[in-house]
Amino acid sequence: MKRLPLFLVIVLSVFSASSQSELTKELAFNRQASLSVNSLPGSSDILHSSTLHINHHSDYALVAGGSKGIGYAIAEALARRGYNLILIARHMDSLISAKDKLECDYGIHVEILAYDLSQTEAATDIAKWCMERNIPLKMLCNVAGFGGSKDYLSLPLDSLRYMINLNVGSAMALTLTLLPLLEKNAPSFILNVGSMAGFAPIPVKNLYSATKSAVVFFSYSLSYQLKDKNISVSVLCPGPVFTKPEIIEDTKKKLGWFGSLMAVPPEKVGEIAVRETLDHKLVIVPGTVSKITAFLIRILPRQMIVNIYGKAGDKK
Amino acid sequence: MAKQVTKNKLQWALISGGSKGIGYGIALALARRNYNLVLVARNEDDLNNAKTKLESIYSVQIEILPFDLGQEESAVKIGAWCTEKDLPLKILCNVTGLGGSADYLSAPLTDSLQMLRLNTEPAVSLVFHLLPLLKKNQPAYILNVSSMAGFAPITVKNIYSATKSAVIFFSYSLRYQLKKDHISVSCLCPGPVFTKPSVEKETIEKLGWFGKKMAVSPEELGEIAVNKTLKKAMIIVPGFLAKTVSVILRTLPKKWIAYIYYKLASTPS
Repeated sequence: MKRLPLFLVIVLSVFSASSQSELTKELAFNRQASLSVNSLPGSSDILHSSTLHINHHSDYALVAGGSKGIGYAIAEALARRGYNLILIARHMDSLISAKDKLECDYGIHVEILAYDLSQTEAATDIAKWCMERNIPLKMLCNVAGFGGSKDYLSLPLDSLRYMINLNVGSAMALTLTLLPLLEKNAPSFILNVGSMAGFAPIPVKNLYSATKSAVVFFSYSLSYQLKDKNISVSVLCPGPVFTKPEIIEDTKKKLGWFGSLMAVPPEKVGEIAVRETLDHKLVIVPGTVSKITAFLIRILPRQMIVNIYGKAGDKK
Repeated sequence: MAKQVTKNKLQWALISGGSKGIGYGIALALARRNYNLVLVARNEDDLNNAKTKLESIYSVQIEILPFDLGQEESAVKIGAWCTEKDLPLKILCNVTGLGGSADYLSAPLTDSLQMLRLNTEPAVSLVFHLLPLLKKNQPAYILNVSSMAGFAPITVKNIYSATKSAVIFFSYSLRYQLKKDHISVSCLCPGPVFTKPSVEKETIEKLGWFGKKMAVSPEELGEIAVNKTLKKAMIIVPGFLAKTVSVILRTLPKKWIAYIYYKLASTPS
């Protein structure tokens, strides 16, 4: 028993290595870029690539944030199961390369839409696009999110607002606007991406953790609200995911072999997420070590977890 | 150096959403303890009413700032106003928030997004802008108002419950972050509070005598909140019954609680 706190320090400090840290640096640039794209006149023609070949006889899944990282892994796991895809992301470049790879490897049809999902009107536009084409939408995956190793008190307020809008607002907005289509194609599925940071507060990732807890709550409530409509809701709560070389390096530097043992590769996270979503599982935690940790985080007193997280965060 | 507004030597507290309801309850409890107050709210008439009432009972100074905290620049202006006057600010109370019985599936998207913003961003930005002043006047206190709905997901209050959980998380993390600056952070998580007749009616309809037993008045709530905040409590749940219920909410698996809430709401009353 004496070793338990030590074990927790080690395990929990892994989570300070974020799967989304690269976004911090790109944020300012990306927002500017997407703004300029969106402000082009008649931009919708430019933003949407092929729109002519909707296959009404096989199911579609929409993946918000589907061009890279966990979103791409989820897209791939869906493609493997024969789903056609609609991928949403900010950058056309990464969307095009994701589309090419997926269509080539799995012989499915991929639609791509470039949107900044932190913008209020994005969801409405996307839903309109889907409805006009009467997409046989079976699954909605809300993966788009923003986080990093810097958070409250070191990030500007604008970035924090962006985080709230993207991490929580975009999932709320896409779900509500696409609900009619999901209802029409029931039984259907919604997969939200939370995080293990949503189980207990992490001081160094203050607002990230807070927004992810909101996503977890939202998913719980939604799962009951949509039960009668035959729409199953899941929430993916992974620990560290090695989506970028920097994250691998950072995690290994901090935790050595233990970091590698703890982390789950994105492909595996995507596969587990899709499999368990289709199994109607509500909370999905990939990996055995993560599952055990998640269990502890959820049953131990919150103040104790916060102190452990806090100390792990102070160490860097 | 700075413009002197202070007419007495008392310390100051700022309350966002301080003109009515829980915010006014907190204002009363602070005035009783001889704090000068800055009240922030949207409606200037409500603010003036609160000011008149408070000044007639207690000999403290009340400043009012009519601002809509849904606007991004409000927190900046409030921060500037306080800093310019070099206010000896000891306590910041973030009470502003949105609630209501129409939530998510039954409300327009803009309402849900508005709730998401109003329940999280004002606290996040007010703390950010007032932190230098609080550090200067340490030991200082921050009180965020959440709800028991933040302990476990309430289906029919989906977004409200999710945002209140975010406020609790924010408070826990902030408390850790500000410990070294001698700023204590507390989070108020009340059960039902009878701030308006409509709330009283709804609570009694949904939870019956139990709801009535668990409920507190805004005055009682404010008194408990301020007392516990000054004693540096982290989570503040007013009332014995509410405390008991909250222990259950926090210990049992969230899935069970969400299910019970869901069943409670769907049984016709």
